[in-house]
Amino acid sequence: MHHKLGEFEEIVLLLVAAQHGEAYGLSITRAIEKELDRPVTMSSVHTALYRLEEKGYVSSHIGDAEGNRRGRRKRVFLITAEGKKSLIEARDARNHIWNMIPKFVIEFSY
Amino acid sequence: MKELPEDIRPPKWADRFFKWYCYAPLHESIYGDMQERYDEYLEQYGLRKANRKYWLDVIRFMNRHTLKRSKNSKNNTFNSFAMLSNYFKVGFRNLLKNRSFTVINVLGLSVSMAVCLVIILMINDQLSYDNFQANKERIYRFTHERTNSRINLPMATVPVVLGDRMKSDFAGFEHVVRFSRGFGGEIMQNGKAIGISGLQTDQSFFDMFSFKLKHGNIETCLKEPNSIVLRKDVAEKIFGDENPVGETLTIDTDENYLVTGVLEAFPGKTHIEFESLASMTGRTFSNWENTSEGWVYFTLQDGVSMDGLEPMLTALQDEHYNEQSEFMVDFNIQKMTDITPGPLYGNQIGTSMPNFFVIGLGVLASLIIICAAFNYANLSAARALTRTKEVGVRKVMGARKGQLTIQFIVESVLVSLLSLAVAIGFLQLLIPAFENLKMSSLLDWDLKLEPKVYGQFIGFSVLVGLVTGLFPSLYLASFRPIEAMKNMISSNKLSRVSLRKALIICQFVISLVLIVSSTLVYKQIKFMVEKDYGYTKENIINVELQGQDYDILKAELSKLPFVEKISATNLIPNTGQSTDVDAKLNYVEETVNFNYYAVDEGYIDNLNLTLVAGDNFLPAQKEGKETSIILNETGAKRLGFETSLDAINQSVILGDSNKVTVAGVVKDYNYMILYMDIQPMMFRYKPKQFDYAQIKITGFDISDEMTQLEAAWDEFDPNHEFLAKTFQGQIDEFNAFFYDVLYIIGLVAILSITIATLGLLGIATYSIQIRLKEVSIRKVLGASSGRLIFLLSKGFMYLFGIAMVIGFALAYFGNNLWLDGFAYRVSFGVDIFLVTALIMIIIGILTIGLQALRATTTNPATILRDD
Repeated sequence: MHHKLGEFEEIVLLLVAAQHGEAYGLSITRAIEKELDRPVTMSSVHTALYRLEEKGYVSSHIGDAEGNRRGRRKRVFLITAEGKKSLIEARDARNHIWNMIPKFVIEFSY
Repeated sequence: MKELPEDIRPPKWADRFFKWYCYAPLHESIYGDMQERYDEYLEQYGLRKANRKYWLDVIRFMNRHTLKRSKNSKNNTFNSFAMLSNYFKVGFRNLLKNRSFTVINVLGLSVSMAVCLVIILMINDQLSYDNFQANKERIYRFTHERTNSRINLPMATVPVVLGDRMKSDFAGFEHVVRFSRGFGGEIMQNGKAIGISGLQTDQSFFDMFSFKLKHGNIETCLKEPNSIVLRKDVAEKIFGDENPVGETLTIDTDENYLVTGVLEAFPGKTHIEFESLASMTGRTFSNWENTSEGWVYFTLQDGVSMDGLEPMLTALQDEHYNEQSEFMVDFNIQKMTDITPGPLYGNQIGTSMPNFFVIGLGVLASLIIICAAFNYANLSAARALTRTKEVGVRKVMGARKGQLTIQFIVESVLVSLLSLAVAIGFLQLLIPAFENLKMSSLLDWDLKLEPKVYGQFIGFSVLVGLVTGLFPSLYLASFRPIEAMKNMISSNKLSRVSLRKALIICQFVISLVLIVSSTLVYKQIKFMVEKDYGYTKENIINVELQGQDYDILKAELSKLPFVEKISATNLIPNTGQSTDVDAKLNYVEETVNFNYYAVDEGYIDNLNLTLVAGDNFLPAQKEGKETSIILNETGAKRLGFETSLDAINQSVILGDSNKVTVAGVVKDYNYMILYMDIQPMMFRYKPKQFDYAQIKITGFDISDEMTQLEAAWDEFDPNHEFLAKTFQGQIDEFNAFFYDVLYIIGLVAILSITIATLGLLGIATYSIQIRLKEVSIRKVLGASSGRLIFLLSKGFMYLFGIAMVIGFALAYFGNNLWLDGFAYRVSFGVDIFLVTALIMIIIGILTIGLQALRATTTNPATILRDD
């Protein structure tokens, strides 16, 4: 079954790949806030992660309890092969559309 | 960041709430994330705001992924579907395996379901009234009730002047529509007189109600005086297919009306009944005493509240009615959607059925569906024994109680859907029978089998299935697996279930009450119809005069050789019609309300009445004013005369000032509907009011004599059709309503006894079957057949006895309630109870006895061979 990747899911999946081995709910939330300068709630990031897990694009395991977590362990997410494939597909689709844009449109837009 | 105190904790209640809803495997990681976040909040915003944000986080986290799941919800969507189809398969096989039980269940359920379906259709019909009115939720009407009157019935009519006053006093109306009743008459068309009736109303009628015109201008059609709008079928009857707008209709030879419109066929039923609408323009109303002259409907402007109306109505009441006036009036407001179906109102604008009648039918229908449901519940619970192994195996394989319950409910839904199919078949027979009832033609039933209705039917039968299945399924599902597998649930334990016994008793009590009731209704009707009314009505034909001169007709018809006597009257007795007048002895005394009949001098002789004192009318008063009356005995007594003779030649004042003398007193006879006692009555000589010629014929060949009468009439008056009925026929027509009631109760009684018998048969068959081994052993040991039959039927006979005692007691008290309303009522009599008891005993012997006999006559060897 091939699932479509939503725009927000794509961002989350990209960040899971970027923070390889370190990605958990809050870290991705912080990254979105910082890198993309866009307000986001923790719960929506979690929801996106669970949905990605359902689709088979990420896998999760229980990690360490570092940080001010009052002893609670993290759930660490890793990108799967399936996830990588769909990221590449998403990028290719994007590039394809980029290539369709006539040069002057970009060049003269400034 | 790191040095934040560990002891600042997020709100405890938020944590608890989170833990309560959160799916356990996710709890730890999410909770950890929230802690980290909380510390960030603390640093950024301070304690209060951090707490608030923490709460928000907790609430935001609630979604599909984090909520707790029920234990079996993981990945079982496909599985539960598979199980459901398995339930259907197993259920279907089970039904096939126990054919006799299936037949009993399906037959009982479908018969009672068919009756319920008719009721559903009736309710649909009632609810369909005025659905096409765009303003239906906003239309109201004024009603009234006389507060100091003998009749305590609210009336739909009001004095029309109320509408005028309210309109000028209250600014919030959008439309006010006034109707005046009693418009109509005869029009001559191609040499035949056609009767036309209708309502007078305002132009705003078309603004308030959603009727459309086929011809004519809807904006102006009722503006001008003497304009008339016709219903489509009426216009076609008079004018054929032509467009009649612009034609003139002459009503009763003196009033000319211009046809200004023809209505389109109504898109649905409406509670307003009319053949034509005439303009009300030019009429003024001022009589507050006439509370039955018309109807006033209104809509309010948007945003105007009803509250302002009440005090104004109260003010108008006080203004026009007080202690001195003849009656007091209480004005009320009724919403249009509450009219049909709605409570009983007098003077309705169209015929309608009071809703208690539908409720009554509904109760009867539910009684029989309950009986049939009991059967199912009973039989399934009894058959549970054969299914203990199945339940045990299913439980061992991991079925939960809920799943088993669903399985057995699916089975009962299957039975009830099967019954529905059979019931729809029955319905085809039931609908024509129902439409033949007198009252259905009166109320214009329209039992449509639309697609929507089938949806309702299916919904209904699924509901019945769910409810009936609930008890047996809970019972079956509660078996403990080990006991079930080991067959340790003994037959004894099952048969001791007192609920089942109660169900059987209940069924028979209901059937008993219904049998006794229908026998009583039948007896009462027979009694009423066959009772000696005190006058002779045989061989009398009632011919409607239709405005013709009685004396000329009399002279004409007297020529016929078979006509013996002719007399005239205004009303036919015993058909529920009456006219009344107040009488008093002199100007000061109290008045007595009399029913009266306008009759001629031949009436007493024709109906074979006896004059106990005085004489018949003097033919002399024929020309001049009314001078003498004839009283009945009750009337004479009520006026204060000790004997009938005392009344002769005394003066009586009728109404306000009409002084007449008593010419004679006639022996009391029953002229009222038979549930009422004889009331004061008088004969008056008022030729103007004559409506019927009562023709006594020899009666050798009634149909031939009727034909000759008709021929004579046609010659006499070619413009009107010959309208004649036999006296008895006319009374029977009026009594047809009672026969309808009898028909319905009788049908329900037969149904319920059939269902109860089926149920008993099922239970008897079953419980004897499981005792077959015991019977065989007893037989081998030398028990006699009679002894065995007694042994097997003992338990049932006991139940029967209890049912009879309760049933007879209920029937006795219940039926006395309605019978007491009748002046002439039948007594219960031992015979009713004996006959009913006999019926029950025969049923008992046929069902239980025969089963027991079959059990005792089987060869014990065939049964015991396997053990």
